[in-house]
Amino acid sequence: MLVDFNFRIIFEYLPLFLTGLRSTCFIAVVSIALALATGIIACACRISGVKAIKYPAIAYIEIIRSTPLLVQIYFLYFGLPTLGLRVPELQTGILALMLNSGAYIAEIIRAGITSVDDGQLEAGTASGLNYFQRMRFIILPQALGVTIPPLLGQNIVLVKDSALLSLISVMELTRCGQTMTSERFMPAEAFFTVAFFYMCIYFCLKALADWSQRKLIFREAY
Amino acid sequence: MIEFKNVNKWFGKLHVLNNIDLKISKGEVLVICGPSGSGKSTLIRCINRLEKIQKGEIIVNNTPVHDKHTNLTKLRAQIGFVFQQFHLYPHMTVLQNVMLAPVNVKKLAKSEAEKIALEKLEQVGLTEKSSAYPAQLSGGQQQRVAIARGLTMSPEIMLFDEPTSALDPEMIGEVLDVMVNLVSEGMTMCVVTHEMGFAKKVAHRVLFMDEGKIVETGTPDDFFDNPKTDRAAEFISKILTH
Amino acid sequence: MMGFYFSRLVEIYPFFLKGLWMTSKIAFISLVTCTLIGFVLGVIRSSNNIILKRIVGVYVAFVRGTPFVVQIFIIFFILPDWGLQLDAFPAALLAMAIMGSAFICEIVAGGINSIHKGQWEAATSSGLTMIQQLRLVIVPQAMKVILPPLVGQYVLLIKDTSVVSVIGVMELTRVGWVTVVRIPEGLMVFSLVGALYFSISYPLILLSNYLERKMAI
Repeated sequence: MLVDFNFRIIFEYLPLFLTGLRSTCFIAVVSIALALATGIIACACRISGVKAIKYPAIAYIEIIRSTPLLVQIYFLYFGLPTLGLRVPELQTGILALMLNSGAYIAEIIRAGITSVDDGQLEAGTASGLNYFQRMRFIILPQALGVTIPPLLGQNIVLVKDSALLSLISVMELTRCGQTMTSERFMPAEAFFTVAFFYMCIYFCLKALADWSQRKLIFREAY
Repeated sequence: MIEFKNVNKWFGKLHVLNNIDLKISKGEVLVICGPSGSGKSTLIRCINRLEKIQKGEIIVNNTPVHDKHTNLTKLRAQIGFVFQQFHLYPHMTVLQNVMLAPVNVKKLAKSEAEKIALEKLEQVGLTEKSSAYPAQLSGGQQQRVAIARGLTMSPEIMLFDEPTSALDPEMIGEVLDVMVNLVSEGMTMCVVTHEMGFAKKVAHRVLFMDEGKIVETGTPDDFFDNPKTDRAAEFISKILTH
Repeated sequence: MMGFYFSRLVEIYPFFLKGLWMTSKIAFISLVTCTLIGFVLGVIRSSNNIILKRIVGVYVAFVRGTPFVVQIFIIFFILPDWGLQLDAFPAALLAMAIMGSAFICEIVAGGINSIHKGQWEAATSSGLTMIQQLRLVIVPQAMKVILPPLVGQYVLLIKDTSVVSVIGVMELTRVGWVTVVRIPEGLMVFSLVGALYFSISYPLILLSNYLERKMAI
């Protein structure tokens, strides 16, 4: 079993894996930034009272959350060309990750905002603060404390989700494993190495999430 | 100073305020009591429009509170409100809690707002806690900070919604002391409370509510010693044996 | 042209229903297995046995730290190397079981840990055995914390079944992939696939939301 694990071949392929790792990190960073923007906008629409933007936001969030990411990726990958749009694989993949995580992030932010006690809003209202001041000084700072840990959790999910981009031939970490498997047929070496790199990213992000959990959750006032 | 004219409010089918007519004059201290669900909290929450009313009119300092065109910010600056559950902002220090409104509503300079905030904190005896966070304070101290926060806009009226009900017995005294001091400064106050001692000592008038109606009003001594209605008598005997 | 493809799509609609049936089958079997294994592991993870706890911890970290598609590749390509030949379908079930159990284990452990120590102590002083304590006192209370995220996890697991298409299991996503080669209307084909997934997962999402509201009281 693991006795004949071939480390030499891993070293031979190390440069390939490192490019894959870099590519995965790049995809993750770009997608999370875009997803955050999408999520904030979707959440703002979702909690607004204007029906014309509220219902489209609900539809977007619910459709994304109840269909698999892989189907969303294929939808864009096979669907955009039928609309006459030639988008390269990488961009298609990032678009899919952005739309997917954006919906989850919108819900995370909404949960953070609704978690702030109603009394806090009333206290702000009674002091004469207007809507934006209540949001800015009272709701958002407290919502941030409960939002950051699950946001970092979503970040972890996104890194793992980006592995699915290998199925539309985006050259990232998992795709490197597939490449090595098809060239040398050493799946154990290939995929355990891939798994190892994902674990490294996971532990870094998890340490960050745990740290933020301790740091950012405000103690209850009563 | 505060006037209720035929005020009615419903929560769904529940008639929480039923034809309320009431006048509170400047410098008056009014204590409102009654069983839970009688509408007493709703009554004072309507004064600064934390609750809307469906019928009637409330006038504070010649301003119709429930008029569309009323400048609520200006109105609320004249009214301090203290909640049963304090509702201090947990992510801000005591001083920041008290300074928030003067800086952002009155647009005072930070230094000036800080001066006022410290004055108010001194008034409630908590200057030394100004850099603490709410979670580091006892319930009584938190409520005193909340009172300082209510005072910081130099309001003409203070509203208290059961300010001592969420406190342990040994902390009630310190909060009531602060309130008694306010009375001696001539503040107009509406206090929802069952603290008979406080009512007897400083209230000018006691108002007893039940099922959304004002059942009885009178001076504290009259009310507590010779209640006119059976419902009030029953209520008083309950809080006495409690 | 659209119309032509649409009628082709209607023609091969039974093919999609077969895919839906396969997806439901995988989903149902894995939800049951994952729940059973997940609860056992969750109890171990919240227990006082440090060695067992650590072992479960390592397993959970591995599953949570790596993408599901990589786990499937490991199971499907590497187990044969080690002398365990698996068809695509059992390999898919195995992968789902390994992945899902780890997530459910964490949810269960979180629920059990949320119960106040005093409840254990009270149950111990009443003379209940360990199993009785769990069954009669701890788990019924922990269910309140466990149930909403558990149903949420079910939705995620159902959606994750789409990934087993990569080893050739003819479920819904694979059906879509095979179809799109013959009927090049990607939007139409994958809208249909998406709609079918939606019809399974959305009711569960609503259930999860409902439970969350109900349990919050």
